Amino acid sequence: MGGINSGFGAWNPIAWTLLFLGILIVGFAVRSRGRKDYKRGTDQAQPFLSGNPEPEAAETLHVRGENLYWGMVHGLSAYYKRVRAWHTGILSDYVAWFIGALGLVFIILIWIG
Amino acid sequence: MALPRSFKRALWVFHIATGSCNGCDIEIVAALTPRYDVERFGIMLTGTPRHADVLLVTGPVTRPMLPRLKRVYDQTPDPKAVVVVGGCGCTGGVFYESYNIVGPVDEVIPVDVYVPGCPARPEAIIDGVVKAVTKLETLEKAGVV
Repeated sequence: MGGINSGFGAWNPIAWTLLFLGILIVGFAVRSRGRKDYKRGTDQAQPFLSGNPEPEAAETLHVRGENLYWGMVHGLSAYYKRVRAWHTGILSDYVAWFIGALGLVFIILIWIG
Repeated sequence: MALPRSFKRALWVFHIATGSCNGCDIEIVAALTPRYDVERFGIMLTGTPRHADVLLVTGPVTRPMLPRLKRVYDQTPDPKAVVVVGGCGCTGGVFYESYNIVGPVDEVIPVDVYVPGCPARPEAIIDGVVKAVTKLETLEKAGVV
């Protein structure tokens, strides 16, 4: 019923949906067996961070994509410095770049053609 | 508030060092080794006070550890028992009235059981935890917790 059988394996969306539903039910069943006597609105409901308070600013917790590829950005800093200056955040600037690039491609195509 | 079912099945203990020399902390670890093997009684160290029934506190409570000890105590669900392990936590020990000490522990949080010693022996620590549980069970029977 809606399934696909091939040499690479089988796929049936209904079977997968039932499986995920089963996992959800088991998950909720396990969760419902947990302790319910935590006092809401107190430190008992706060995450444990080795006794430290939870930082208010999300920036201090968030691992940015830049944290992963900072070496590349550092290596190509001359390039990024120039390119970042072009990213003004103003929509009309981006539209002007788009029209300029489109015009350039158009001229090149005419030149070749 | 009655003791939760998990309390009667197995006792989860959270250990916090508030500036100890690590002597008592090593003895707590020794209580977990096969020689003493507290896990056979269902006593287990947990990684977060949010899952703990008993707090094991070592050290005389240094100034930087004061807010952390209070927060860990507040994060432990009720009913809970606090066991102080070692002379420093019980009285301040050799650090008594030191400029950087705000303890002993009972100056900061309520304490149920004191286990003195420098360091306290594993048998004494186990006895302290059992006494804390006994106290909570007695209070439950009396309808206090």
